[in-house]
Amino acid sequence: MNDIPLEPVISMAGVTKSFGSNQVLKGIDLAVTKGQVVAIIGPSGSGKTTLLRCINFLEEYDGGSIKIDGIEVGYKDAVGERRRRSDRDLARVRSDAAMVFQQFNLFPHLTATQNVMLGLVKARGKSKTEARQIAHRWLARVGLSDKFEALPSQLSGGQQQRVGIARAVAMEPKVLLLDEITSSLDPELVGEVLAVVKELAVEGRTMILVTHEMAFAKEVADRVVFTDQGHVVIDASPATIFNEQPNDRLQVFLSRVRSFGH
Amino acid sequence: MTIFLQILPFLIDGLVTTLLVSGSVVLIAILLGIPAGCTLVFGPIWLRIPIRLYADFVRGVPILVLLYFVYYGLPAIKVNLTSMTAAIVALTAFKTAQIIEITRGAFQSIPIGQTDAAKSIGLGLIDRFIQVLAPQAIRRFLPPFVNSVVDTVKGSSLVSLLGIVDLMLSLQQVIGRTHVALPLYTIGALMYFAINFPLSVLSRRLEKRFI
Amino acid sequence: MGNYHFNFAIVWRYADKLFNGLLLSIELAALTIAIGMLIGLILALVELDGPRWAKPFIRAYVEFVRNVPLLLLVYLIFYGIPSAIDLEYDATTSFVATLSIYSGAYLVEILRAGLDAVPKGLIEAGKSIGLTPFGVLVYVRLPMALRIALPSLSNTYVSLFKDTSIASAIAVPELAYGMRWIETQTFRTMEVYLLATPIYLITSYGILMLLRLVERRYAIAR
Repeated sequence: MNDIPLEPVISMAGVTKSFGSNQVLKGIDLAVTKGQVVAIIGPSGSGKTTLLRCINFLEEYDGGSIKIDGIEVGYKDAVGERRRRSDRDLARVRSDAAMVFQQFNLFPHLTATQNVMLGLVKARGKSKTEARQIAHRWLARVGLSDKFEALPSQLSGGQQQRVGIARAVAMEPKVLLLDEITSSLDPELVGEVLAVVKELAVEGRTMILVTHEMAFAKEVADRVVFTDQGHVVIDASPATIFNEQPNDRLQVFLSRVRSFGH
Repeated sequence: MTIFLQILPFLIDGLVTTLLVSGSVVLIAILLGIPAGCTLVFGPIWLRIPIRLYADFVRGVPILVLLYFVYYGLPAIKVNLTSMTAAIVALTAFKTAQIIEITRGAFQSIPIGQTDAAKSIGLGLIDRFIQVLAPQAIRRFLPPFVNSVVDTVKGSSLVSLLGIVDLMLSLQQVIGRTHVALPLYTIGALMYFAINFPLSVLSRRLEKRFI
Repeated sequence: MGNYHFNFAIVWRYADKLFNGLLLSIELAALTIAIGMLIGLILALVELDGPRWAKPFIRAYVEFVRNVPLLLLVYLIFYGIPSAIDLEYDATTSFVATLSIYSGAYLVEILRAGLDAVPKGLIEAGKSIGLTPFGVLVYVRLPMALRIALPSLSNTYVSLFKDTSIASAIAVPELAYGMRWIETQTFRTMEVYLLATPIYLITSYGILMLLRLVERRYAIAR
């Protein structure tokens, strides 16, 4: 780890977001530096997924600022006024914060290879040959070298999710966003996916993961953020969060989760 | 039996007219309806409202009334169309509204996660449409579309009421001359069945394959 | 457009033809729906629970009716049958019979899908509290099936209302026939249509809105 303080890759300051009359994010501050793995935990409705989806502008945040490498995500600062970025600008920014989804969201009409290639060709402008090589490389990395030409319908949940990870990582994003990626998987398939994530963490990828897998968060994360009711309640090391539990709401949350055998 | 062979040419003529009318209607309706449907899903609100109003208006009125209006009503305001043109215009107006609905349904039934995933790997709106949404929309569009072609062929029988000699009217003319009603109506039904049943089967196969 | 002088007064004199026509259209639709639901329900149950030899016949009925124009069926039953058999009936009876047979074919499909979608667990629950098969049908399966099928049923009912316009082809004095009648009497085509089209629109959407209200209360989203 570098001991020179780095410009955060992701910096969120005072981010607010409401859905109708329900304010889901009430002022989020978060900074992630290069190579860090941040796990976000918290009860349902605390805003974790919304937070993640604001980073790549899948949700438009109402107030505050989110910057990737110093560049404001959704809006351009033009003479102090906030103007929404054009579609093309947004596309560029988004591929820097690639996301892996709980529901996989693989393109059903494309093979595994084509799924991974699509972003490379259309967003990164690579040639089809080059894109295919990169796609094959990543699919092999996630353990799917025998599934290059498989359609999503022919893959198990765990395999589909690994394709999802390959698709996101192949974009060489500045940060990888993982939104409860094991929540839709049968228990016996969770391990293979987490193994891939662990490898990526060890490599030094910057990642933000929203997860219910506490043991995994403890193992892989550099920092753990506990959110509740739209606020960041506590942002500390895994040891602090899980062993010391220096907060009441955190304690209640963890005890409930623990009672399910985590 | 010889009667049957004598009348067959008349019925075939009528059948050709039916197919021509149905075919033209389907073709024009696709050319107008699919872009309109896409606009309804993706376009700006000042385009969406008129299209929505058009589709709802046309589908709230029976096809027959639409046919009467175009055929009898327009000449009253000095818009003179041949009966064939009037029939095709009316049927096309109706079918376009149907196609708009089917197109809309096709896009809206695509899970929203697909758009999310496409955005997340950096695809802009055009790429998202061409690479991710359109391929999936086509699969959802085809089964109800083929079904609607069956409806069009059935609807085309109404042009007989405007005096256009399609299969339906040629059937009635032949019955008028030979006075053999039931067998001929049955034969007519079988002819329509012969056109539509394969389409219905196709629609179900497509549905099983794609949905 | 310039030389056309609108004259609603003449048309208004015959307005009763339109409103009586509307009433008749609604009656025809209501009657048809009642009979059609009966046909559809019985055949759906036979197809699901009945003897296997019955299925091809039901399938043949459904496929035949759904692939043939309604107009042809109307003529077949109104002109075709009386010419072959010694049977006489008036146009209205003939049309109701025809549209009922027509609607039955569509309703069989919808009701069968609805019945099929009733969760097996509920049926087992019904049996386990001691209901006879008939009791399970009446108290568990039918209510559930109808609620599941409500959206499809709503759309079909509105379509059937619009299909009553075909009755005008055999001179049944419903709304569409009323329109044509006034138009041939007065030659005031535009006025008639400007008057009658909203009637159709309002009635169609009125029925649809009513059914959507019922849906909101009773329907089950799957």
